Amino acid sequence: MITMAPITMAPITTTMTMDESAREAGAADGAIADWLGPLLAWLSPSYPTGGFSYSHGLEWAVEAGWVHDVASVVDFVAAVVEAGGGWVDLVLFVAAWRAVLADDAAALDDIADRAAAFRGSAETAAESNHQGAAFATVTMAAWPRPALTALWRRRQDAPLAHPVAVAVACAGLVPLSVALPGFCHALAANLVSAGVRLVPLGQTDGQRALAALVPVIRRATAAALVTDLDDLGTSVPLVERASMRHETQYTRLFRS
Amino acid sequence: MPFDIGEGRLQRADGAARVTFARRGAATVLAELAQRVPCRVLFPVVDEGDPVQAVLLTTSGGLTGGDHVAVAAAVGAEACATVTTLAAEKLYRSTGADCRIHVDLSVAEGGWLEWLPQETIMFDGARLRRRVEARVAASGRLLAAEIMMFGRAASGETLNRGLLQDGWAVRRDDRLLWLDAIRLDGDLAAARRRPFGFGNAAGYGTVIYVGPDAEAAADRVRPHDVSVINGVMVVRVLDEDGARLRGAVGDVITRLRSGMRGLPARLPRVWAL
Repeated sequence: MITMAPITMAPITTTMTMDESAREAGAADGAIADWLGPLLAWLSPSYPTGGFSYSHGLEWAVEAGWVHDVASVVDFVAAVVEAGGGWVDLVLFVAAWRAVLADDAAALDDIADRAAAFRGSAETAAESNHQGAAFATVTMAAWPRPALTALWRRRQDAPLAHPVAVAVACAGLVPLSVALPGFCHALAANLVSAGVRLVPLGQTDGQRALAALVPVIRRATAAALVTDLDDLGTSVPLVERASMRHETQYTRLFRS
Repeated sequence: MPFDIGEGRLQRADGAARVTFARRGAATVLAELAQRVPCRVLFPVVDEGDPVQAVLLTTSGGLTGGDHVAVAAAVGAEACATVTTLAAEKLYRSTGADCRIHVDLSVAEGGWLEWLPQETIMFDGARLRRRVEARVAASGRLLAAEIMMFGRAASGETLNRGLLQDGWAVRRDDRLLWLDAIRLDGDLAAARRRPFGFGNAAGYGTVIYVGPDAEAAADRVRPHDVSVINGVMVVRVLDEDGARLRGAVGDVITRLRSGMRGLPARLPRVWAL
C-alpha cells in the first residue's frame, strides 16, 4: 500500500505541551476508572449517536467494486483516517481539546465553526453533525461535562461536529494521549463494521482489518498532535467522489 | 513599492490586483482598480450578452518560491461581472520558500460574480500555498472555479515533489459555510497514487456555486460529481487527460452561467486563445 509521505513518528509524549504533560501525569495518578469508564462508553458502538448508519461513502465504493476484500477495506479506512475526513477530525479534535484546557471560548467557537464547515460532501457533513448533536445531547443528560454544556448553549442552532463534541467532553478528564487514538480507533472501527456488512466480510476478517489499522491510527494521531490548522488538508478525492455518488445511489442501507 | 524591472530573480514578486464593480443604472461599471507588478488587469470588450470582464495577468510569466500575489475581486449590490486570467499560471520550482496566492472574492446583495481563472500548472519542485476566501451576501451569487494541473504531462513533465496547500473558505455574510483544502506534501507522486487518492489524474478541478438556489445548481451539473454542503454547491473533477479535465470544468461553468443566470453558454474568450 502506498502511504502519505513524511509522517511524524515521534512518540506522542514528546509532542505535547508542558500543560498536557502535567495533565498526563495527573491523570496517571488519579483513578483510571474515573475516566476510562466514560471514555469506553462514549466511544462504544452502542453509544446512541447512530454511528452504525454511516459509511462515509464506503457503500458506494463497495457497489462500484473499489472495495471488495479485507485489504481494500483497510485501504479505504486508512485513506479516511490519514488523508480524508477522519484526518480533519483528528486535527480539529486536538485543537478543540487544547482550547478547552486553555479556557478559550472564542478559540473553541472558531474551531467548532471550522469543524462544521470542513466537510467534503453533504452526507459526510450530516454524518458528523448528526453524531455530534446526538453525542452532546446524550452526554449532557447522562455524563454531564460543564465545557460541553457551555459550548452547546453558546452555539444554539449551529451544527456541532462529532470530533469537537467528543474532544470537549474528554478535555480535562481523559488524557489526550488516550482520547485521541481512542476516537480514531472508534472512527475506524465504525467504518470497518460498515465494511463487514457491505462487502460482506466475516467477523474475524473485520477484526483482521481493524488490527491492520493500528499502525495507521498510531501514525495519524501522532501527526495530528503536531499539525497546524494552516497545514490541514486532504488528499483522497476518490473517497469524496464515493460519498458524492452515494447521494444518488439507487439502493442504500446507509445514510452516508 | 519600488518599480520591479524583473532583473535578479532573487527579488521576489509581491503583486496585487484589486478590482471592484458597481451597478450604475442598467449597467455594471468599474468602481475601483488597483494593481501592483507583476499583476496587471485588462478590460477587454466582451461579446454581446456577456457581463463586464476583468482579465488578470502576471507579467513575470510565472511564479516561484517566495512570490506573493493577492487578488481581490468584488461586485457591489446588483452588479454582475466576470474575472478571469489571460493565461495559465505557472508555478516554477522553488529553492525552498513557498509561493503564496491569496484570492479574496466578495459579492453584495443581488450581485453575481464569476471567478474563472485559467489553470494553474505546478512544475516539479514547486511550493504553493493558495487560499481562496469568498464572502457572499444572502441574495448574492458566486460562481468560482479553479483548475490545478500536476505538471505538463503532454510535455513529459511530471510533478514528483514539492508542496501544494490549496484551500477554500466560503462565508455567507459572516457565517462560515464551507472550508476545504487539498494538501500534498513531499513526495507528491506517491501521495497522489495512494489508494483513493488522485489515481493517474493529470490534475483536479473545483467548481463552487454559492447562492440561495445551490440545490438547483447541483441539478444543472449532474452527472458531474457534485454535492451541496451547507448551501455551497461543490463540483470536483478528476481526469487523467488535462484537456478533458479543462473541458469538464468548462462544461460545468457554462451549464451554471446559462442555467442559473441566463448568460451565454460559453467561456470567457481568453480561454480559447
